[in-house]
Amino acid sequence: MTELSLAPGAVDRDRALRLLQDYGVYGGVLALLLFNFVFTPHFASAENFRTQAVQVAPVLIVALGMALAIGTEGVDLSVGSVMALSTSLLSLYLGYGPWTATLIAVAGGVVAGLASGALVAFVGVQPIVATLASMVAARGLALVLLPQLKDVHDPGLAALGSGDVLGVPHLALIAAALALLVAFVVRRSTFGRQLLAIGDSRPAARLAGLPVRRVLVVVYVCSGALAAIAGVLATARLTASDPTSLGTLMELSAITAVVVGGTPLSGGRVRIGGTVAGAVLIQLLTTTLVKHDLPPSWTQIAQAVVIVAAVYAARERGKR
Amino acid sequence: MKPTAPLRRACARTLLAAGLATSLALMTGCAKSEDDSGGDRGASQGKDAGQVVASPSGGTGPSCAIDAYGGEKRDLKSATVGFSQSEKEANPFRIAETASIKAEAQQRGVKLLTANAQSQFSKQISDVQDLIAKGADLLVIAPLNSDGWEPVLRAASAKHIPIVTVDRKINAAACKDYVSFIGSDFVEQGRRAADRMIGATGGKGEIAVLLGAAGNNVTTERTKGFEDRIKEKAPGLKIVFRQTTEFSREKGQSVTENLIQSRPGIKGIYAENDEMGLGAVNALKSAGKKPGAVKIVTIDGTRNAVQGIVDGWISGVIESNPRFGPLAFQTLDSFARGEKVAQDIVIQDSSYTKDNAESDLGKAY
Repeated sequence: MTELSLAPGAVDRDRALRLLQDYGVYGGVLALLLFNFVFTPHFASAENFRTQAVQVAPVLIVALGMALAIGTEGVDLSVGSVMALSTSLLSLYLGYGPWTATLIAVAGGVVAGLASGALVAFVGVQPIVATLASMVAARGLALVLLPQLKDVHDPGLAALGSGDVLGVPHLALIAAALALLVAFVVRRSTFGRQLLAIGDSRPAARLAGLPVRRVLVVVYVCSGALAAIAGVLATARLTASDPTSLGTLMELSAITAVVVGGTPLSGGRVRIGGTVAGAVLIQLLTTTLVKHDLPPSWTQIAQAVVIVAAVYAARERGKR
Repeated sequence: MKPTAPLRRACARTLLAAGLATSLALMTGCAKSEDDSGGDRGASQGKDAGQVVASPSGGTGPSCAIDAYGGEKRDLKSATVGFSQSEKEANPFRIAETASIKAEAQQRGVKLLTANAQSQFSKQISDVQDLIAKGADLLVIAPLNSDGWEPVLRAASAKHIPIVTVDRKINAAACKDYVSFIGSDFVEQGRRAADRMIGATGGKGEIAVLLGAAGNNVTTERTKGFEDRIKEKAPGLKIVFRQTTEFSREKGQSVTENLIQSRPGIKGIYAENDEMGLGAVNALKSAGKKPGAVKIVTIDGTRNAVQGIVDGWISGVIESNPRFGPLAFQTLDSFARGEKVAQDIVIQDSSYTKDNAESDLGKAY
């Protein structure tokens, strides 16, 4: 790196690449917005932005937890199943009122996170394997608790799913608040610093006397709790609990949002702003293709192109 | 390291494990779910309509008898019947299908062995082989796929076990590899949905189609019947939007939200199953539309969708009747006694509109 930066041309290239890595995702969002303003009829309406904000909220919240896990050089594959578990628990305990049911659903997410975290931190299982186990277990448990789709009639939950404050949907407000909270924790708190240090180098963090195990467990607990919240919100929006299909492939959408947002899979760095933009980018991409009535297989191909482009841009960072 | 550290760690581990176990126990211990206003399914079971044969009506079409198939005549009462279900009983169709087979077996006093493949084809193959090994004399199969049945068919024909397939076909020779197929005509369901759509919209305007999962014969046939009939009978209706929402309510909702924003003038939505149609209803509700502003036509006939007609959100539901029990056992019974049975038994599906939705709600599954 030092040798390279002696040549002036290389400096420019290096800087351009850095800029692309850091701000490429925002550029992508901007480009898609511009495209839609010009070519999509009825795109520039408040109603449309409300819809997009509501649709992106669950993915965004799951991606926040995923960003934390990836920041520790781990990954949490169980998020989609935890959403299903949360919707099952919610439906099962709704008789006690929506608040109690939500608390129990989130507690279910915490327990699932505790299980993954304990496997990673204390038993020393690789995160991908540990969370794969909880992914299978949580989905199974969700289906045992609630074998089939069940409608939710609770007016409180329905209001949460479709209501708004001053024109901003509840779901979008909750997602924004959680994003700010997680960003604050990562940037300003001791826990955030410890998390990044562990992601950078776990042996070094241990030698420095950081509470590695505790931090790891808390990270997976946070991820589980966030996924459970996303499950509650998705249930409120659908006004039905559907553990068979809720959250399927959610882990992939979340990982995509995080990676596209510029958080390296090698850990030690978490970009919350980028993660939010990554989730929005994927949402806009899907919307654009749906609104123009293109075949759904195109959405998958377009997502693949975006992922490859993002990983290509991030490639240099790995060598640093 | 301090000597207390390992002790503390062991303590923490025990606490963790204990905590996990207790929370799991608590989770199920004191559940109290919301009162289900649409419940009380057991009470209305008596009203359930069994299937009626649509074709062949007068013994036309190829038929099959036991001399041609091989094997010997027997009384169904003393026989064991094996039933292999393809998908887990998580959706109303599969629940009603399995329940109907079980109820009919009980009513006839036939010994029934059941298996569920949980949507895994390899499991279904071994399920059927298990059923044969456990002594099933006749088989009813709800196939997950149409192809790949050779190993099972070979094993069954070696033992002269008659097979009836329900709801989906298998690609094999009728009356040689299996006796008959009982099911709905999905193309016809699409055509009838198109007729409903034409009636509801008046035959003019722009409509959208919410497709089922890609690469599934139910999806392709329901699409083909619908599009052909629209083209033929109502050239004024234009299909301007086609997106797959994979038979799921959630996808149906999010795609419809986008649809009604980018095309506010849409007049009708054809959903290839009830769940996607209910998702579309959700989207219309949250967009502040009035019931009936956008005409929705769906296929299946689940209770929620028929309730949607009563509430005014859905204009028509074409039924796909899952109650195969009576017809399947009747076919096996006639065949085992040596009578001729038809190779393709297409059932008559009814439909729900504003006129009969309220009175026939009990018939919906």
